[in-house]
Amino acid sequence: MDALNSSPEDMGAVLVERTLRSGQSVSYAGHVVVLGDVHPGAEIVAGGNILVLGTLQGTVHAGVGGNEAAVVVAFRLRPSQLRIAHHITRPPDGQEFVPEEPEIARVKNGMVIIEKFGQHREG
Amino acid sequence: MGEVIVITSGKGGVGKTTTTANLGTAMALMGHKVVLVDTDIGLRNLDVVMGLENRIVYDLVDVVHGRCRLKQALIKDKRFDDLYLLPAAQTKDKTAVTPPQMAELCQELATEHEFVLIDCPAGIEQGFKNAIAGAEKAVVVTTPEVAAVRDADRVIGLLEAAEVSNPGIIINRLRSQMVKKGDMMDMEDIMDILAVEVMGVVPEDEYIIVSTNRGEPAVLDRNSRAGQAFYRIARRLAGESVPMVELASGNGFMGRLRRLIGLS
Repeated sequence: MDALNSSPEDMGAVLVERTLRSGQSVSYAGHVVVLGDVHPGAEIVAGGNILVLGTLQGTVHAGVGGNEAAVVVAFRLRPSQLRIAHHITRPPDGQEFVPEEPEIARVKNGMVIIEKFGQHREG
Repeated sequence: MGEVIVITSGKGGVGKTTTTANLGTAMALMGHKVVLVDTDIGLRNLDVVMGLENRIVYDLVDVVHGRCRLKQALIKDKRFDDLYLLPAAQTKDKTAVTPPQMAELCQELATEHEFVLIDCPAGIEQGFKNAIAGAEKAVVVTTPEVAAVRDADRVIGLLEAAEVSNPGIIINRLRSQMVKKGDMMDMEDIMDILAVEVMGVVPEDEYIIVSTNRGEPAVLDRNSRAGQAFYRIARRLAGESVPMVELASGNGFMGRLRRLIGLS
């Protein structure tokens, strides 16, 4: 878990088979896959991609070494804060938006954008 | 140099975090430069109550361990330019910082802010020791319940031993109807037990729940009774002389009328 210097591709992925609760943190040099939810106050830091097969409400940082190609995918993407490489984003104030399908967040033209999962391949 | 004030209680759930958020916001409303420090490492809440949770990048532990500069960790409030929050870490525990490190941090914060308000965790262990390490002054929050007052007494003793001067008491969640019926302690009862100055009494107010859930401190709402009580306390804390408002509603015009016609 400490080999943050090697490239994410070499490190494969770690599978987290539980819900991450407030105060819990997963940090891995490769990809992180969560089979469960990520609650507010929980944190995932990954050198590669982050996939949440559940509702993501915590803080996530994908591509932590500076990998702009990293993505965050969740069944329900509602993060407190979402970071990819050196980009930091948060939802706008005063709007509680609940997505109804899986979405993907990635860096495009220097900005983090969120799209429906599946649609992003066409664009 | 600014003033470092710790908000503490001993007992949990009496309203330390709500008090910190409201006093800080009130002081910013008055035009003071204020920073709020959450020292409840591992169980942080002040960021949520202030509605600033999603802005956290660095926290108190990062600052103390030199992973970022102090300025990088300070979060500017949504509403006031001169109000800042230094959030606690959530994925660490109380042992991540020591009292001497906290004292140094408070010193640094006091050079740029008029008031440094420290939100203390419940308990009297390491988290409490960290929180009071850099404080010159203390505000002890209690509710009109025997257990909370007992814990406040214990904490006042510990503050005196640590030479944090003249703690002031805030009595939170007072229900004047219950006091009138004799079912709840009033300000005088609590003053008799604790023998310290009462800085203010905050009435029970359902709006507090709404305001903490929304992340908008109640002092910003003119209709919130608790919010207005916190505003008066903030003015006292900032050195103004503000008269105490009699909370027991029975002393108003209707109360007198009721007594006249023998209803109470």
